[in-house]
Amino acid sequence: MMVIRLYEGNSQLNDDTVMDVVIDIQNIRKSYLLGDMEVPILHGINLLVKKGEFVAIMGPSGSGKSTLMNMIGCLDRPTDGNVMLMGKDTRSISDNDLAELRGFEIGFVFQNFNLIPRLSAYENVLLPTYSNSKVNLDNEERARDLLETVGLGDRLDHKPTELSGGQRQRVAIARSLINDPSLILADEPTGNLDTKTSTEVMDIFSSLHKGGCTIVMITHDPEMEKYADRVVHIRDGYIENN
Amino acid sequence: MLGLKHSIRFALGSIWSAKMRSSLTTLGIIIGVAAVIANVSLGASFSEFFEDEIGSVGNNFIVIESNTPHTFHDNELELVKNTPGIVGVSPLTQETGGVRYMSEVRQIPVQGVSDDYGQVANIQMGSGSFIDDNDGYVAVLGYDVAYDKFDRKIANKNSIEITFVKSDGSTVTETFRVKGITQSKETKLVESGIEPEGRIFIPVKVMSELLGDDYYWGFFAAAESIETIDEVSDEVDKRLARNLGIPMRDLDEEDIKPYSIFDQGEVLENMNQVSGALGTLLTSVAFISLVVGSIGIMNIMLVTVTERTSEIGIMKSLGFKNYEVLSLFIVESMVVGLLGGILGTLFGLGGAYLVNNLMGLPHVFPLELIFIGMFVSLFVGLVAGVYPANKAAKMNPVDALRHE
Repeated sequence: MMVIRLYEGNSQLNDDTVMDVVIDIQNIRKSYLLGDMEVPILHGINLLVKKGEFVAIMGPSGSGKSTLMNMIGCLDRPTDGNVMLMGKDTRSISDNDLAELRGFEIGFVFQNFNLIPRLSAYENVLLPTYSNSKVNLDNEERARDLLETVGLGDRLDHKPTELSGGQRQRVAIARSLINDPSLILADEPTGNLDTKTSTEVMDIFSSLHKGGCTIVMITHDPEMEKYADRVVHIRDGYIENN
Repeated sequence: MLGLKHSIRFALGSIWSAKMRSSLTTLGIIIGVAAVIANVSLGASFSEFFEDEIGSVGNNFIVIESNTPHTFHDNELELVKNTPGIVGVSPLTQETGGVRYMSEVRQIPVQGVSDDYGQVANIQMGSGSFIDDNDGYVAVLGYDVAYDKFDRKIANKNSIEITFVKSDGSTVTETFRVKGITQSKETKLVESGIEPEGRIFIPVKVMSELLGDDYYWGFFAAAESIETIDEVSDEVDKRLARNLGIPMRDLDEEDIKPYSIFDQGEVLENMNQVSGALGTLLTSVAFISLVVGSIGIMNIMLVTVTERTSEIGIMKSLGFKNYEVLSLFIVESMVVGLLGGILGTLFGLGGAYLVNNLMGLPHVFPLELIFIGMFVSLFVGLVAGVYPANKAAKMNPVDALRHE
């Protein structure tokens, strides 16, 4: 199933496909300043993710995949080029609007879970809605339902420290879904988990994918390729294959 | 949009997770706010106490005392009486008399007064009535004179004998009927020298007649209101000076004038200087500890921000805007301040209560104190929180997330 493709510029898209595009990365470059020296990390990357895709971005450490993920997640801005998220040009919007866009459109799942230790599982899932809340969703009911869905219906009031790694990652997945985002962005979601819990977590992603979720997963583990529709390899800041 | 409810819950969670640190941080605020509260409360207690005390001595009184005999006569009495703003004046003469009741004799200060005195000196009668201008050989006894001085208590309508030594050395003795007895009053701090308790009052005409003198020892006058008392007193001073031929330039020379004059306003002022000094001290303590407390909060908030860098990254990645992160930390800083403020207010009120009890002051706790305490502590929290919160808000989400 090769739904994803590398593509060269917007012009090839007709109006129907534009509607289905979640992420459209247009020739982005990113470099960091190291002292006075400019160190390029990404060298002109193009990537298109359409609605309903499960894309794995693979690459060794230092390949620039984390930087790419920051670009996709609108956590950072490219030095050059453009990131279109749900048809919105992210170059021209303010940091606060970008944050709001993240809050509504992107659900993050991190390698080290990134839960707030003081809050219960339920409160962690609810947290994004404190800032960005979709009016048509009953957040509290949805938070409970999502935890139920990831199999933590009986752990609502547990703090992250009272949960296993796999359980924490499932809380994080539930949190990523709270605002019904257009894209789930997972950064090495199984990196801190053993094989068995990794499989459990990936099964959740699989079923989310089957349910219609768009997922982009950064990983260096070839084992994870099998879950994705499409694998994009990145090396030294270039996308390697199609 | 991040609501206040969630911000406060978040702040409380964070503060609670570092209980020891938070409580130590609030110490400066507690002391500062307690000092502010105690200061205002004690100030109010003192003022009320002084006003009560002074009020019990007289109503807007102006006292004029001669330093040498034969200074004041009826002429001066009329002058004082006719000064605008004076609503009552009584001449005063004073002599120690040998007072005999049954077979006992006691030496007691006797004052010759007119009927205005009762009102000007705010004399409260326990029984009977005060002297009026038609009275002859009647006496009004101070509470202590009637009930303490003699082995047997003196009652209304009893008779006493008073013996005066005249200026030529001869003595004169007359029988006086007791017309009234004053109420007991509890004055502690203010010793004006004119408390009625230990005195006997007789009509001034009778006293002058007995002593064969035609001058007054002084005047006890009342002004219309406490607001105008200084002006009225100055006017009386001027008129008396002109009448006695004292040059205007010597008006403030106490040594040259044959009399002195002071009013209730000045007495109150002197009293308020005492509480003013205490107030200044407490204000300095309050100010210093609030500054120290605010630096303490700022310091701890900077630590908190650094500690929670990755948390800030998480929040930002989840879509929290810069100003929401800012408000989160400012609210936390203000909550720390407010907790200090609540405790400080309680300690301050407790401290003021203790001091009031120790010094026998009335308990005055203006309700605004609570608001002052809350406002000051919230304000200190706000000021202390701005810099750390701004630091948190400006963090780059990628760097913050990477922070361990």
